[in-house]
Amino acid sequence: MSKSGIFDLARPSRQHILGYLLLAPAVFLVLLIIAYPLLISLDLSFQDVKLPRIGETRKPFTLTNYQRLFSSSEFWMACWVTLKLVAAVTVGSLIVGVSTALLVNQRFAGRTLARIAVALPWAVPEVIAVVIFAWIFDSSFGLMSWILVKLGLADGMVAWMSTPGAAFWALTVTMIWKGFPFVSIMTLAGLQSIPTDYYAAAKVDGANALQRFRWITIPCLMPVLGVTLVLVMLWVFRDFSIIKVLTEGGPLKSTQTLSIMTYDQAFGFFKFGYASAVGIVTLIICVVASLAMLGRGSKALY
Amino acid sequence: MKTLIKSAALAALTAGLMTSVAALPAAAETLKFVSWQVDDGGMGDWWKAAIEKFEAEHPGVTIEFTKVERASYADTMTTLFAGGQPPHIVHLASFEYQNFAENGWMENLDPWLEKDGIDLAGWAGQGTCRWNDETACIMMLYFGFMMAYNPQILADANVEVPTNYEEFLDAARATTKDLNGDGITDQFGTGHETKGGAGQYLTEMLNYILDAGAYWTDKDGNITIDTPEMVEGLTRWKTVVEEGLTPVDMSAGDVRKLFADGKIAMRLDGPWLYGTMEEGAAADVLEVAKPPFNPPLGGSSNVLGMASEISDEQKELVWDFIKITMSPEFQRSYATVAGNTPPSPAADVSGVEKDVPHFQIIVDTQKAAAAAGIDRIPTGLEIQYGEFGKMVQEEVQRMLIEDLDPADVVKTMQEKAEAIQNG
Repeated sequence: MSKSGIFDLARPSRQHILGYLLLAPAVFLVLLIIAYPLLISLDLSFQDVKLPRIGETRKPFTLTNYQRLFSSSEFWMACWVTLKLVAAVTVGSLIVGVSTALLVNQRFAGRTLARIAVALPWAVPEVIAVVIFAWIFDSSFGLMSWILVKLGLADGMVAWMSTPGAAFWALTVTMIWKGFPFVSIMTLAGLQSIPTDYYAAAKVDGANALQRFRWITIPCLMPVLGVTLVLVMLWVFRDFSIIKVLTEGGPLKSTQTLSIMTYDQAFGFFKFGYASAVGIVTLIICVVASLAMLGRGSKALY
Repeated sequence: MKTLIKSAALAALTAGLMTSVAALPAAAETLKFVSWQVDDGGMGDWWKAAIEKFEAEHPGVTIEFTKVERASYADTMTTLFAGGQPPHIVHLASFEYQNFAENGWMENLDPWLEKDGIDLAGWAGQGTCRWNDETACIMMLYFGFMMAYNPQILADANVEVPTNYEEFLDAARATTKDLNGDGITDQFGTGHETKGGAGQYLTEMLNYILDAGAYWTDKDGNITIDTPEMVEGLTRWKTVVEEGLTPVDMSAGDVRKLFADGKIAMRLDGPWLYGTMEEGAAADVLEVAKPPFNPPLGGSSNVLGMASEISDEQKELVWDFIKITMSPEFQRSYATVAGNTPPSPAADVSGVEKDVPHFQIIVDTQKAAAAAGIDRIPTGLEIQYGEFGKMVQEEVQRMLIEDLDPADVVKTMQEKAEAIQNG
């Protein structure tokens, strides 16, 4: 075989090589930006290290960080808060997202404007959205407390950020507002891909609107909803900026998720070994939960 | 022959390049300087003037002055040092430099001070810069608190400017009002940050705690939280927050703005409050007085040092810059330009009161706080300050949320603080 034959990437039998070559820069970048820091974190989590330095001599191997982690009530509370937040935000985003998608999928005057309005929160930068909600939930001059007082539902201003329950729900509402447009857009795309013949046939068979929704819309949307749910869940799991700006994980750790705990341990208390252990455990939980969700939820029923 | 000529030419070129590079160390030098004060009115101007003077004295050497927000400052500096790319000129808060010094990342300045015969005796707050028996930094600011107030609000409530805690509490109660009768408080007697970082939360509480005669540790670093004085200090804080005499869940910046706009009667703060006061809606009426608490809250603020791993030539340049900031000229302009109390005992601050009317008050409180040995960073908990601060903030929040007795809270805090200190 001639030399030119080996490098002739246009030949069908060589096309996979071209594919690998084209993918190589992206793979290299992913390895550099994600895999390398991940390996560093994994390594740090097995060392008793406070402030690390690249290139420094490695400290002895130890399981202390993990032993401390699993015996810490703070860690289990962060797991519980993360679980509650993931469940509340995912369910809330799903309900609001699917409802708005069904609404803007109908034909009515001003539908384009309604679609823009639904997508708008997605376009607002996260930090700006949080600052807006921080003012809405302000304990002294906030709009939400003012409305509650005017409606007679509260005697005075509600201390949203210094009451554990109120802080959690203020955070949940903020995250749902920021997260539902993604569910809505994905669902809308899914709705538009369902053949109208299905609905026509069901109508002929005498199915009412609820039955058509239950037996056609939901099953056909399942692949889209499955993937969307996993993505929303992962977003809530790893989200940092909304919680950091709105509540800083407080009060009394009532909104401290695993990502906030990782940050505090690393940059607040300079315990990088321990923080890495929290990060690695968070990653494992994320991977396991994603695999479970993708396996169950993403298959179409028809 | 051709090969010989090629080799000779290459050798000549290499030698030429090496010679020119060797001749250029100072000419092409750029020093990195990261700070959160780049855009601060007053302080930013002061730093820029120091940089200008340095660059004029060192032709060809430039200082790259970059802003990093205070909220993400510790993260950024940690990342820069951990990645082996520290700034040459190291600017840090006085409560966070210790971890960097402990890791050996900051140059010992003792030989540099000795070489130039600089005596730091009487330099306000410099003791905080001693770490492991070395001078890790130079204190840039040791401040004393002042009390700014709104005379109109006090006059409307028929109260005088308070001079002690009891009068302060009465004045705060009298000036906290729902002005339009809608059930929502519109005007507060005082204002404290109760949301956000633990450091600021502790600083706000310390006003009351110090006046009650308490502190977190003693001079030897022993935890001294479980005392009757601390119970009294926490009781005062609880009273002010529970009675709604301060807006809650606000950052220090928001509280300062509210005060400047005439929504708060009295605000205890450092000299930096004056800049916000001048920009507020109530700027024309606001005044400054001596704090009603004794000793007044004071403390170290920020420090300047150099990274230990930079080259000797770069260290010489950084030291020259630090010396400029310590010079009599710049210690004076620290007051005239930045409106702060300079740490140098020899600083000439005559006539500053023409531009900063309350200057004598902050000089007096700085001296009073320094004489009482006050600092925000407790001895013996410097390295664990972040964790300690978070713990105290949470226990105090728990006291407020669950209406706990301060006498029980100090016991819990004592126990947890000892656990943090012992690792």
